[in-house]
Amino acid sequence: MTQQELADKIDVTRQTVNAIELGKYSPSLEAAFRIAAVFDKPLESVFHYSKD
Amino acid sequence: MPFREKSAWISLLSMSGIYGYYFWSVMHAGPQPGGFHFGGLLETIIALVVVQVVLTIAAAIVTPKEAKAPRDEREKLIDLKATRIAYSGLATSVALACFFGAFDPPIVFNTNALLFVLVTAEVLRSSCQVIQYRRSA
Repeated sequence: MTQQELADKIDVTRQTVNAIELGKYSPSLEAAFRIAAVFDKPLESVFHYSKD
Repeated sequence: MPFREKSAWISLLSMSGIYGYYFWSVMHAGPQPGGFHFGGLLETIIALVVVQVVLTIAAAIVTPKEAKAPRDEREKLIDLKATRIAYSGLATSVALACFFGAFDPPIVFNTNALLFVLVTAEVLRSSCQVIQYRRSA
């Protein structure tokens, strides 16, 4: 799946998907759930919390 | 470059350039008989509107899909952060303008000082937007 396809499915821009992938932007809880729903995975398997 | 970032660049460069020229002209001309001249300011505002509208339409033609889409959560956050920083700058500058206004400067100075404060706040807002878009690119 391309960044643009994912962006279209969760109603954000491709640049926002790119920033999430690069760890430069932390999505809202709602966007995180939408991303997990697109991949049909639980939230914790898509996002990981790190203190660093 | 995404449409919103282009838009922030357009605002930053057009305001810096056009108002920069206006303030440079005002300072260069020195005190004018009859006080503040609205003609120069009106020309500046018209030039700014024309430049921004033309460049924004050009940017929208290049990226039509992004131009039509509403701001997403990251873009809204960038806007909010930039506006908060610009507001702090605006509040500080207004306080300084009020302080210097107490020394009874000519009306032309007061009017242009307040205009300068507003323009500076808007330039600061656009600068913060550009920096945040560049950082998250």
